Amino acid sequence: MVAILYNIMDVWDTHLLTLRTFEHLYMFSIALFIATIIGISLGIFIYSRPGLANPVLNILNIVETIPDIALLVLLLPFFGLGAGPTIVASILYSILPIARNTYTGLKDVDHEYIYIAEGIGLSPKEILYRVRIPMSLPLIAGGVRIALVFTMGVVTLGGLIAAGGLGTALQTGIYLYEIDTILVAGIWTGILAVILDGFAGIAEKKITARFGSW
Amino acid sequence: MKTTQTQRLFDRIESIRLANVTKKYDDRFAVDDLNLEIKGGELLILIGQSGSGKTTTLRMINRLIELDEGHITINGQDIMGFDPVKLRRNIGYVIQNIGLFPHMDIHDNIGLVPKLEGWSEGEISGRVEHLLDFVALPHETFINRYPRQLSGGQQQRVGLARALAMDPPLLLMDEPFGALDPLLRRQLQDEFVRIKHEIGRTIVFVTHDIDEAFKLGDRIGIMDGGKLVQVGTPEELILAPENELVASIVDADKKFKHMDTLRVKDMLSHLDDKYIFESGMGVDQALDRMAVNNVEIGIVCDGSGLAGQVEMADLLRSRDEGKTLEDIAESSIVFSPHDSVAMALGELKDRGRSVAIVMENERPFGLFFSDEVLLKLI
Repeated sequence: MVAILYNIMDVWDTHLLTLRTFEHLYMFSIALFIATIIGISLGIFIYSRPGLANPVLNILNIVETIPDIALLVLLLPFFGLGAGPTIVASILYSILPIARNTYTGLKDVDHEYIYIAEGIGLSPKEILYRVRIPMSLPLIAGGVRIALVFTMGVVTLGGLIAAGGLGTALQTGIYLYEIDTILVAGIWTGILAVILDGFAGIAEKKITARFGSW
Repeated sequence: MKTTQTQRLFDRIESIRLANVTKKYDDRFAVDDLNLEIKGGELLILIGQSGSGKTTTLRMINRLIELDEGHITINGQDIMGFDPVKLRRNIGYVIQNIGLFPHMDIHDNIGLVPKLEGWSEGEISGRVEHLLDFVALPHETFINRYPRQLSGGQQQRVGLARALAMDPPLLLMDEPFGALDPLLRRQLQDEFVRIKHEIGRTIVFVTHDIDEAFKLGDRIGIMDGGKLVQVGTPEELILAPENELVASIVDADKKFKHMDTLRVKDMLSHLDDKYIFESGMGVDQALDRMAVNNVEIGIVCDGSGLAGQVEMADLLRSRDEGKTLEDIAESSIVFSPHDSVAMALGELKDRGRSVAIVMENERPFGLFFSDEVLLKLI
């Protein structure tokens, strides 16, 4: 037992896993933050221009079907190696679930509420900001949560193109066939993902309790 | 209480006029050449089957539905000349499913439009508290709750409070009690009757429940197939239904059901001069006059007004005694034309009489015969 713990500490120190974890979370946070802003904005945009909704969502769907390794490679000519293309790839993957959920949420708010909002004298803009967006928050949160999982995956893959993060330790372990390293880095990455998703789940529940319709 | 003066399109309603209003969906007329004048301060009911056009008519007044032909004017101004958002903020709106926003607490739900109108937080809170108390929801308890924490009846009260937030001179209500269970509906109707006068607004109210219509309405408009078939007071509809449909909706063949609604003035017999006798007239002379005119009852009047009544049977007992009518006239039961028929019949029965005098402005106005009322009712 103590030996195992010692092994873990050894791997952790050798591969700078504390630093790698910070790098990992750094890329993850930036990617998810930007993806959320772009995704929600795009969702609102295509909601307000319904003609664009299908083309835009189709394009995002195509991006989504590109395998992640291929996407990283495709981005190399533009962004070089490292964290840049990894973050961009994460964002590209994450926009779809957020934008699609935002769009669906805005569009599918129970018509009864829109109707009474009009009836008591809200302008279309006020209906969007006071009724549609707040009432879509549970669905938007669901989209962000899906994006979170995508982002975790892509950021880990970033180790392939020298992005840093936990993926780097994992890659090293694979190249050198160090089972200990693979296990420690792999399990830790998995635990991290589960913890983050757990927090996201709690946040989503809170938002649903506050803004969901009953 | 509120200091921010929101710009108003109208301070009070003089009249709302719907002229040749038509709304078509494809080839079907939802509302077909409808003409209606709603008077300021009245509660007008629109009643009809679903698909009769009553809700469409209501929604055209606040431009939730735009009319195809015709004009709707409020105080003589065509509503198409108003900005729809501004128009709706001057008109309270209550619907069956209430539609309180689930993500806002009661304060925010009621205060939404005042907030958008730029009221200060203090003004909004004051208004919300006042309105909650007005609809019998203690504001300390309810102001910070969410709609889902309220029962259906409580939600409906909040819906009414929200409609009153901007103190609108006109209220549109679309089956506001329709979704409630019968007992609660009745209770809220009773309360609504009470606050109707306090509200003192012009109200257009859509329902399919004729009992509700009779209970709440000053006038009732009956709609069928997009047309306004008849509009009138409950009495007019019961006593002079325009056609079979109106008769069946108001249950005109069972008028006794409407005893609470009917007034003495609807049931009285016209007071012909032949019933009126001077108090100084001799008994024998009065008997002769009754015989000639074929009446058996007389209203005895003196210089100052009503002195009582005499019946032929009493006169016969007192003939040849040299008395005048003044001596034998009995005091009369007197009703006002606005008394209810049910109350009047009850009083006649209690006092063992069959006839009463209906007075208006201190003058005899008509006669109220209990047996004649019963004949009219069946």
